[in-house]
Amino acid sequence: MTSVAELIPSPSALRDGLDRVGYLADEGIATALFCAARLPQPLLLEGEAGVGKTEAAKSLAAVLDTPLIRLQCYEGIDAAEALYEWNFPRQLLAIKASEATGQTLSEHDLFGRDYLTGRPLLRAVEHPGPRPAVLLIDEVDRADDEFEAFLFELLGEASVTIPELGTIHATHPPIVVLTSNRTRDLHDALKRRCLYHWIDYPDVERTAAIIRRRVPAASEPLAAQVAEAVSRLRSLDVQKPPGVAEAINWVLALELLGLGELDGPAAAATFGSVLKYRDDLELVMERGPAWVASGS
Amino acid sequence: MKPDLAAVVARFSALLHAAGLPVTPERAGRWAAAVALAPPVTLSQLYWLARVTLVAEQAQLALFDRVFAQVFEGMVDPADFRGDAAPAEPAQGETRPGQPGSPARPGSLSPRGGALPGLGGDTAGETGEQDSITALLSPDERLRHQDFARLTPQELARVRDLAARLSLAPPPRRARRRARARRRAEMDVRATLRRARRTGGEPLVTEHRRRRQRPRRVVLICDISGSMESYTRAYLQLLVSGVGGSRAEAFVFATRLTRLTRALAGCGPDAALERAGRLAPDWSGGTRIGEALKAFNDGHGRRGLARGAVVLVLSDGWDTGDPEVLAREMQRLRRLAYRIVWANPRKAAPGYRPVTGGMAAALPFVDTFVSGHSLAALDEVLEAIA
Repeated sequence: MTSVAELIPSPSALRDGLDRVGYLADEGIATALFCAARLPQPLLLEGEAGVGKTEAAKSLAAVLDTPLIRLQCYEGIDAAEALYEWNFPRQLLAIKASEATGQTLSEHDLFGRDYLTGRPLLRAVEHPGPRPAVLLIDEVDRADDEFEAFLFELLGEASVTIPELGTIHATHPPIVVLTSNRTRDLHDALKRRCLYHWIDYPDVERTAAIIRRRVPAASEPLAAQVAEAVSRLRSLDVQKPPGVAEAINWVLALELLGLGELDGPAAAATFGSVLKYRDDLELVMERGPAWVASGS
Repeated sequence: MKPDLAAVVARFSALLHAAGLPVTPERAGRWAAAVALAPPVTLSQLYWLARVTLVAEQAQLALFDRVFAQVFEGMVDPADFRGDAAPAEPAQGETRPGQPGSPARPGSLSPRGGALPGLGGDTAGETGEQDSITALLSPDERLRHQDFARLTPQELARVRDLAARLSLAPPPRRARRRARARRRAEMDVRATLRRARRTGGEPLVTEHRRRRQRPRRVVLICDISGSMESYTRAYLQLLVSGVGGSRAEAFVFATRLTRLTRALAGCGPDAALERAGRLAPDWSGGTRIGEALKAFNDGHGRRGLARGAVVLVLSDGWDTGDPEVLAREMQRLRRLAYRIVWANPRKAAPGYRPVTGGMAAALPFVDTFVSGHSLAALDEVLEAIA
């Protein structure tokens, strides 16, 4: 079975691999993912919403042909939801069954692996291989800061501890990717354990290439037009600058409406795909949809 | 070209360190490992390997790029490797702590022996002319009603001690987590089953749970412009105790917005004030409340910092900017925040009416308007928060 090192011998090989699975990576993100997989070291990805943070982790899993295990963080997430939980109903059934059949059931049996419900972190650690799983801890800034401390053992030692069972070490330490939208500062202790990569918006050509890749039906001129229009929208003082995801949605909307070209009226009709605030819409309408579409 | 990479790694790390970007041995080691793993052939490969392993947060990127460009001078412009810069990112007028681009305060960093401006000796002498009622009160009691602007430095130090004991009590919000509760809350089937294990699998006792309550986030935004000078010392103390005791977020502004939360956390008040003075380059400058609030909304509030939070603005409402900008940003903040409290020390002055451009523009969006000019009035502020 091919190992990770054989699959991605260099950052440029990873870049080509990502390209094959439909993720157009620049040198920076390819290097970051390469280091995360090969050092190996957890990687913290930050960037504006819609620049493809989550997509990067998914694509890495696709390149390595290994499962992606995703933990979506939210406020109040705790060990029972992230790591493991004892399967109480099953334990009770076992007690009842042993009573009925007159067998004796030791506590040791009852707290065995069979009665454990594995949540994402445990599943990532227990992944049997042959290659490590990709563990995506999404929007870690949404979780409480106490939860960060709870991740340290996993990030540092690639192991988790269950009091009744002991410490479980990963045979194939997962490749960990954390993403954050920076709603709050992450703790230094967490940052210290991670590589860091900040994803910028892709430039116009790359945006156009990404659109072409994701919406094969779109014509090349249309992709280029939308990429430029999105870049122009970002230059305005909008509250939520449109990202790549919005650009793709915009092209999809234009395609659906049978508009093969982005001009003023077409842009005005489909602004709902890119502008998500009324204030932004007003600002852009003031500047004129024709300017957005063509730059003049 | 086959330079000794280990030497390059060590030297570059030392330069970054000297420039103020902390490179731990751990990170330097990671860089060396990455370089060994994928020996860089081009400069851009070297750049990315170094950046991914050595940089810990976005605020350090500008400094990193500068040092990298310095070391490999003329050979490369780091900006070439990157895509479109995010335009709104470091919102204009805002400095991030530790960001190299932010101009350090020119001249002496700590006037008056490590202290901040605002503690003028200019008002001494006036305090002797107290009316008969306050003279009868205990010193602490008298201080409580004294306008911050009219205190001697010694009295102000005393006020700071008192203010340090203030604690914010933000209103609760429903949390997602649940906690054990008595009867008539929702039944917790899982806990009931767990408990049934003690009684041989028979659920004799039912367990209940209900949603926990957590205090809301508090955001403190303090005006440090010239017109607020006599109040900032006392207010900063409130910021320090807010950050320390209630995990509040603290910002200051005059012409630009500066986030102080990290600077104020985890150290004594004097050290905190000294650090704050170094971070905010615009002490006692003019005021642009509207733009400062815009920087707050764009860079922090919208991301989630102000959502459902109690926002306390400490400002006299003297705004040299456009009141329309202020009104618009207050409206945006209004839509994000749970409650907006505005403390204006001028409110206590007899005959004060909020007709200055800024204050009049902001007032329609304020939930509670209080004075906060003395310790007793600060109680009022705390009450408005709770």
